[in-house]
Amino acid sequence: MTGSLPAPGVDVAAARRLVRIGLRLSGLGLAALAGVYVLAIRFTPTEASQGLAQKIFYLHVPAAWTALLIFSLVGIVSALYLWLHDPRLDLFASASAEVGVMFSAVMLTTGPIWAKPIWGTWWQWEPRLTLTLFLFFLYVGYLSLRSAVHDPAERARFSAVVAILGLVLVPFVHLSVYLWRTIHPMPIVLKPSAPSLPPEMLRTLLIGFAATLLFYWGLVTVRYGLGLVTRAREAEAMRNA
Amino acid sequence: MGDAIGLALAIAAKDIRAELRSRTAILSALVFAALVLVVLNFSRDPTRLSSADLAPSALWITFAFAAMTALNRAFTTERENAALDGLLLAPVPREALYLGKLLANLAFVGVIEAVSLPLFIVFFNVSMGGALPGVLAVAALGTVGFVAVGTVFSAMAVRTRFAELMLPVLLLPFMLPPLIGAVQVTAALLEGRPLSAVGGWLRLLAVYDVVFVTLCTLIFPAVVNE
Amino acid sequence: MPENGGYMAAAYGLTAAIYVGYWLRLRARARRDTALPPSSPAP
Repeated sequence: MTGSLPAPGVDVAAARRLVRIGLRLSGLGLAALAGVYVLAIRFTPTEASQGLAQKIFYLHVPAAWTALLIFSLVGIVSALYLWLHDPRLDLFASASAEVGVMFSAVMLTTGPIWAKPIWGTWWQWEPRLTLTLFLFFLYVGYLSLRSAVHDPAERARFSAVVAILGLVLVPFVHLSVYLWRTIHPMPIVLKPSAPSLPPEMLRTLLIGFAATLLFYWGLVTVRYGLGLVTRAREAEAMRNA
Repeated sequence: MGDAIGLALAIAAKDIRAELRSRTAILSALVFAALVLVVLNFSRDPTRLSSADLAPSALWITFAFAAMTALNRAFTTERENAALDGLLLAPVPREALYLGKLLANLAFVGVIEAVSLPLFIVFFNVSMGGALPGVLAVAALGTVGFVAVGTVFSAMAVRTRFAELMLPVLLLPFMLPPLIGAVQVTAALLEGRPLSAVGGWLRLLAVYDVVFVTLCTLIFPAVVNE
Repeated sequence: MPENGGYMAAAYGLTAAIYVGYWLRLRARARRDTALPPSSPAP
């Protein structure tokens, strides 16, 4: 099984390089996000009916899309793992999930903070917010399971199962709450994102998305590299045992 | 194919027999049902919230808990008898193993539901009218929804240290779509509306069940194979 | 325009704290995990 990986010495050096690259990329991502902050606050028009709180949109939506994208990636990569049994796929899935849970946390905190001034309540059981909550639960479930299983092959298989089932669940959660809301409509009809977004707002949103993706890319590279280091050390320990 | 079905039924029967010998799980689920009954009834203002309004939610809380109990009970039998390991040594197709466990879990939950339902009808003053077949149908659809995924997670959780905690953490998100749909349909039926009025929910429930039973049957081998 | 800048500040501040905090902790962990082991002393 370890035949596919090069000798430990080469492993760790490559992993260290990955970690360094990842740290630089994610540092760049953070800087880009700081730029988005400035862009959103000073150089994007304020929406008249929602006021300053509307600007939370530029943080919330990229984080939400990223969290959902990462979760889909984890599910797809997990399915590939069950098919191909390549441990690097499992490593990537776990690295991504560890980052995804953070974006999901941002999504889950900025959502209600935005909702309170706009809808009057911190929470509404409506399709997007509910999905936010469930995505977070799914991430937490995936990561808890990983930490509770000690055999690496079993851990990879089990978490792959959870990831795949979780990904298939997502559309059902959305549909259920949507269908429920058609029967019990929301009391306030103000939609956070207007159907036709003015160009400056769209620009800021897209730049925000790009910055968030860059941040993710850097972070997952670091996590992946660290995962490789851990795996190389485990292999070495087993060899010397 | 007939072999696989026969095998599944045999596995189910073995599990059910094992459970009937120790009745603690059924009893704890029934005690919970009684608790839900009493608390919900006495904690409301009867002039403002009729017991019939509460019945669908109360019913489904109990059914959901019954499902969790059924899935949890698998741990004690599995661990103590190392039953699963024994089964795996035999050339049993893993899909049949899953279906057998699914059937056993469904049977167990079915028993609890069959006992709880009359209790609720009596104590919540529910007038069933012609709604009974519909209620039974939605009970089946919703229960299959929880138990399909729960059977897979139960097989995984049993190999972890805090199995009783891991199962609910994993299963919770998966219980939502069946629960929402089932409560909506049950409420509509008890209000006297026909099944056609809740066609959308029934379709959602049916699709959920088909998708997840199929997916879980296909994915179960990954859980039990080395 | 409604006066809700406080919410914006809270959301922006919290998000920054999460992003920066996560990155700093990851960087610290990376330094720890990839630190070269001290070379073994001569026999």
